[in-house]
Amino acid sequence: MTPSAAPPPPAPGPPLALALAGTIMMVPANLLPVLSTNLTGQTRSDTIISGIVALWEDGMWGIAAIVFTASILIPVLKLLGLGWLLLAVRWPPRDGRRRRTLFYAVLDFIGRWSMLDVFLVAFLAGTVKFGALASVEPRTGIVAFTAVVVLTVLATNAFDPRWLWVEASNPDERTAPDPDGPAGQTP
Amino acid sequence: MSSLIAQFHAEGNAARRVACRLCGYEHVRVPLARGQRAGCVRCGTMLEKRGRFGPHAPLAFALTGIILAIPSVTLPLITVSKIGNIRMSLVYSGAGALWDHGMRILATWVFICGTLAPVLLFATLGALIAARRELDPAMSPRLLRAAHALEYWAMPEVHVLAVLVALIKLGTLVNVFIGPGFWCYTAMSVVLALAWRSFEFESTEPAAGARRAFSA
Ligand SMILES: [Zn+2]
Repeated sequence: MTPSAAPPPPAPGPPLALALAGTIMMVPANLLPVLSTNLTGQTRSDTIISGIVALWEDGMWGIAAIVFTASILIPVLKLLGLGWLLLAVRWPPRDGRRRRTLFYAVLDFIGRWSMLDVFLVAFLAGTVKFGALASVEPRTGIVAFTAVVVLTVLATNAFDPRWLWVEASNPDERTAPDPDGPAGQTP
Repeated sequence: MSSLIAQFHAEGNAARRVACRLCGYEHVRVPLARGQRAGCVRCGTMLEKRGRFGPHAPLAFALTGIILAIPSVTLPLITVSKIGNIRMSLVYSGAGALWDHGMRILATWVFICGTLAPVLLFATLGALIAARRELDPAMSPRLLRAAHALEYWAMPEVHVLAVLVALIKLGTLVNVFIGPGFWCYTAMSVVLALAWRSFEFESTEPAAGARRAFSA
């Protein structure tokens, strides 16, 4: 066994394709209604954004912010962030590898929180079932939204952060600490 | 006191090596004292730690999780009432409602992420830890891959937050009662995080104290 395996050659195709598919699915996910609410005979359908606006107007700012972060901010941030990392793999900047690796770890961690809206719609549909009095039903937009979440999570997973270190694979650079920070110390 | 201890490659046999899970840089394992962590010398990611809970923590957490899983899926999660009508929901009722509306793939997915994957992950971790003790190298790689895949899609903590958001939203519309299943499920999601962290990062290198005892 060699002391240190060579980093894998970058294969940006799969993460790029998955991220593009996720970007395309953002359109139906945000235009189609995700649920409809029936209250004593009056029915209204909500998209993700109109649901957030309704929460805000009802004075529920806290949960409006949580849903906005999970449903809009995180998917957009993940797609933009992944694009930035793919650019850094294609044209490696001189420094900042350590920072980009940390950024990848953050993208990987936040992705799952986008599932919030899916669980929310499922829970409401499974709980608010009072027939004509009050009921919540899922709409097709939530299927498209789940596709966005799964595609962005898979895209992040298909990106290998070792690609960020390919150009650092010769022995001299390997042992040199990264200029970004104090190497080898974890408080 | 905690400080780092991770050395460069070059020496040591394969079993004593650990590759950084982010940047791939290989390190030689060194014994850690309680409370110490070892970080990657190149990117700073945590490689291993020796936690406060000791070497039996992963198994203890996995068994606790399996025990908590039973009331989590059988006891009422939330009960709501509106003008005398009462509805009780379980942890997988949401997936059931999606299924009833014809969204069967989505229903299956929600059931996997919220219910099935967490429970299977506890069982897989228990089996992996048992296999590690019996030193059965044939079983471990497949189980390990399964554990990583399950961990990727097991999201009970996201489910808990979604239910809390829904309860605030529903508060003005119906009367809401939090059932015992919700508390068990929340506890299970905390134990899942603890089990996974202790399993993934707990050092398997003998502690410095143990080594000293041997050489004395
Ligand atoms: Zn590293």
